[in-house]
Amino acid sequence: MKKNKASRFTRINGLPWILPAFVFVVGIIYYSIFYTFNLSALDWNGLDPIQTRVGMSNYTKVLSDWIFWKAIKNTVVYFIFTFLIQNFLGFIFAAILHSEVRFATLHKCLIFIPTILAPATMAPVFRLLFSPQGILQDIFNALHLGITVDWLARPNSALFILMIVAIWEFTGMSFILYYAAMSQIDREMLEASNLDGAGNFRTLLSIVLPNCKGTTVSLAMLGIIGALKTFDIPYLITTGGPNHATEFLGTYIYRQGIRQSHLGYAAAISVVLLVLAICGAILVNRMNKGD
Amino acid sequence: MFQIRSKKNKVVLQIVLLLLTIPYAIPLVQMFLGSIGGIGFLNYKAVWDTGVVPVYFRNSIIISAGVILLVYIFSMTAGFGFAKLHIFGKEVFFWLILVALTLPEVILLSPLFVTFQKMHMFNTFWAVILPIAALQLPFTILLARNFDSGIPDELMEAARIDGASVFSMFWYVILPLTKPIASSIIVLTLINSWNAYLLPLLFLQSPQMQTVTLLPQYFQGEFTNDQTKILAAAVLTAIPEIIAYLLMQKNFEKGMSAGALK
Amino acid sequence: MKKRRIAAAGLVAVMVMMTTMLGGCGSSKEVEDTSSETSGEVVWWGWTPGSPTNEEYIAEFNKEYPDIKVIWKQTSIDDYDAAIKPALANGEGVDAFEASAGSGNGGIQVFGGQAIDLTDAVKEALGDDYKDKLNEASVTTMTVNGQLKGLGVGTVYSGNLWINQDLFDKYNVKVPADYDEWKEACRVFKENGIEGFVQGAGQGAFNMDTFHAIADNVSPGTFTKAARGEVEWTDDSIVKALELWKGLFDDGIMQEGALGLQQYPDANNLFMSQKAAMVMMGSWYTSNALPDTMKAAIESASSTEEPFTMIPIDFPDIAGTGNTGSMFGDLDYSTAVSATSKNIKAATTFAVWLGTSQNGQQMIADSLNVVPSLKSATPDWDNVKLVNPEKQNEKIKEYIENAMDSGDNPRFAGINADMNQTMMDVLAGVAGGTITPKDGAVQLAATQADSE
Repeated sequence: MKKNKASRFTRINGLPWILPAFVFVVGIIYYSIFYTFNLSALDWNGLDPIQTRVGMSNYTKVLSDWIFWKAIKNTVVYFIFTFLIQNFLGFIFAAILHSEVRFATLHKCLIFIPTILAPATMAPVFRLLFSPQGILQDIFNALHLGITVDWLARPNSALFILMIVAIWEFTGMSFILYYAAMSQIDREMLEASNLDGAGNFRTLLSIVLPNCKGTTVSLAMLGIIGALKTFDIPYLITTGGPNHATEFLGTYIYRQGIRQSHLGYAAAISVVLLVLAICGAILVNRMNKGD
Repeated sequence: MFQIRSKKNKVVLQIVLLLLTIPYAIPLVQMFLGSIGGIGFLNYKAVWDTGVVPVYFRNSIIISAGVILLVYIFSMTAGFGFAKLHIFGKEVFFWLILVALTLPEVILLSPLFVTFQKMHMFNTFWAVILPIAALQLPFTILLARNFDSGIPDELMEAARIDGASVFSMFWYVILPLTKPIASSIIVLTLINSWNAYLLPLLFLQSPQMQTVTLLPQYFQGEFTNDQTKILAAAVLTAIPEIIAYLLMQKNFEKGMSAGALK
Repeated sequence: MKKRRIAAAGLVAVMVMMTTMLGGCGSSKEVEDTSSETSGEVVWWGWTPGSPTNEEYIAEFNKEYPDIKVIWKQTSIDDYDAAIKPALANGEGVDAFEASAGSGNGGIQVFGGQAIDLTDAVKEALGDDYKDKLNEASVTTMTVNGQLKGLGVGTVYSGNLWINQDLFDKYNVKVPADYDEWKEACRVFKENGIEGFVQGAGQGAFNMDTFHAIADNVSPGTFTKAARGEVEWTDDSIVKALELWKGLFDDGIMQEGALGLQQYPDANNLFMSQKAAMVMMGSWYTSNALPDTMKAAIESASSTEEPFTMIPIDFPDIAGTGNTGSMFGDLDYSTAVSATSKNIKAATTFAVWLGTSQNGQQMIADSLNVVPSLKSATPDWDNVKLVNPEKQNEKIKEYIENAMDSGDNPRFAGINADMNQTMMDVLAGVAGGTITPKDGAVQLAATQADSE
């Protein structure tokens, strides 16, 4: 029924509505993308008037670069871990804070503030926090736990700590979006479910979660792309170290392009990143439709 | 979302919330303590004494306002268009915009730099507002579109029967209902434009034009790195965002209880 | 209504595009020098040493040239390149700017093209024999294509340690001269809740200093030869140096978690707040021996303690060869004048004053931050008051003289960007145990071969 009634105005041309946004975004961003494509076929340091064309060799170099693959592995691990936990927590927080709890505003602030703090500022704070000279070590010492907090110094745990930092930083965003989505849910549906005797968790799973699907999909898409683009946290806290243990595509591109002036190579990695991101987005979309 | 009836469960929920929030608070506490390390609150005075705080704040406000305006207008219109209207090749357009989302900011620097140089746009606010807005839009359009899809078509039908034009439908029906997502979009855009660092650093040269995010520059020399004042500057920078967020939260509540659906 | 809507949307898009395009389409840039040798406005860009020191230099400058207004614009060291490139290209907002040797940040190789030739200016100031009056490295490293693109201000040296003498006295610890003594000192301090030696091993540049010092201790001069391709990185002495480097971590000299910290601000703050007794910093750290600078540094470290006695000591003889006291240095920064500046004459006056005048260089010497380029400028010990003159004056004087005698031993100037990255990776890997010293040396050799 719904579809029939809808068809009357879906014939209205929506083009003018999307065109300004489209032109604007495409203009600025696509120009940069094509510029990058061009760069990736060069061997150039950004200054020489002469630019050497090297065709696809930058790309073959990328694919045989162990650091590149390490970055990919880190990205995958990072995405899975942070996506699951961050959005789970964001969802739970949104659910709890939509209920009757005290000090709601305070809690909302505490979850939200991490999102607005510049990573550059917080990086030294975190380095200290996760070092033997920080308050975590003091707490462990007081509890006689015999654990040494040198987690950023060890290649294995460094990545883990960065993921914790990422979760800390982005739960707030997940929270805001789920909160907005939940506010769209029909109150009566919830009450009906409760009257039917469904417990809180049941309601959460079978009514609230499905209604937030759009948000979850958006977050998944942003999550994949964000994981690929990750730069601030690994660069500022560990600089991709120790010895590339926390290297990501973003940090590698920055280092190759700006620090080591291999602009062509950096551009090639960027293009690969772009391709991966598109694949990721398509994947999310497929999974969404398949439901 | 949770219907809590018993007192015991109320307490349990409160405790769970508290436990979940504590880990988020720890780094914040460390940060605040850091900002009053050494000479205490005089750090804040030292930040103020750089003399540029009011100017930087003003510039950040101008830039954020510009970005939010652009993003809001384009997101609402494009979101509506994608969700509710007929467009030839809609999916293609949508995907093209989404691809733009994949771009790390770092990549934009070289091409923008070359372009702005040719157009003599250095040291103008537009040089910062335009790229930032362009970077926000793919995601905010995605958000708006998803949200608008959730608005029942019957409402628009009803409006149409009343003889409303597309624009009126948009203005009087859709827009009020999008308050929750609009607030989210505004808050997220505010965060990203207020915290913008690379673009202002590159394209705004004179102290008259720079933004709050460039305050720490004063405290970072080659061999100096005055954490206490940098953190104090960070706290000052964060305050307007927190206030804006709290105001927007109120907007959520309003949009929610509007019950416009009935 | 519909038509109006389309029109409105289209108009917005067009307006945005137009403003973008018209934004600057105006008069073309003519570069006119509106300044004179004694008046004008100079915007001075740089990353070091930071306010308020730069303002003090400017104040001194204004005593001689009251009509030249100099404005100091600071960026952090990491952002300098990214920030100044557009400014220089834009031709506005930069008159004088700091440049360094080689291709590091602010590298003269990178930015020299945007600077004017200062040879005539310096000849006017010092005479035709100016090369004899200035530190040799500062002239050679600043010459690009036969043109003197920057006037060196001062050099920094590394290779030594700084210790907190007060803490050593308090716990009755012997100042270490070899490996065992160093281990012992660290042990005693740790027992008393203080880190013995601290380093921000997460920041590669300072690891390179430590490694260079070890290499010079094992076999003097080999590091520099290897960097120049005259000796292979796989040489035994280098492998030994890497083994010793690893030993620092395994034997408890490097503090736990060193790889997770940065030298600035983390390790610096630990030393300044007296939570660590030893740190490896170079000649730039000398300025912290001045009471005001030290107080500021202590406050930045969130500490409320009083200034303490810090003194420089030689890098301990951990290889047991007796080769100690090696120092290596680079020109820290120079002043270049932008070719597109509207205040070229005034900016040149400033650059010349800062880099070659007795007054300017004396200020530089007295700030103890860098070793001045002008050979005749040395710190005026009557004027310069340290925190603890009795214990510090002699030691620091010797230290500076030793540094200036270090001869041909560059710090980073001879190492290109790729080599830089590989070295940082190898040092981190060896320290963390993920690369063996032998393999590390092989990697260094490979990158050296690639870049030649």
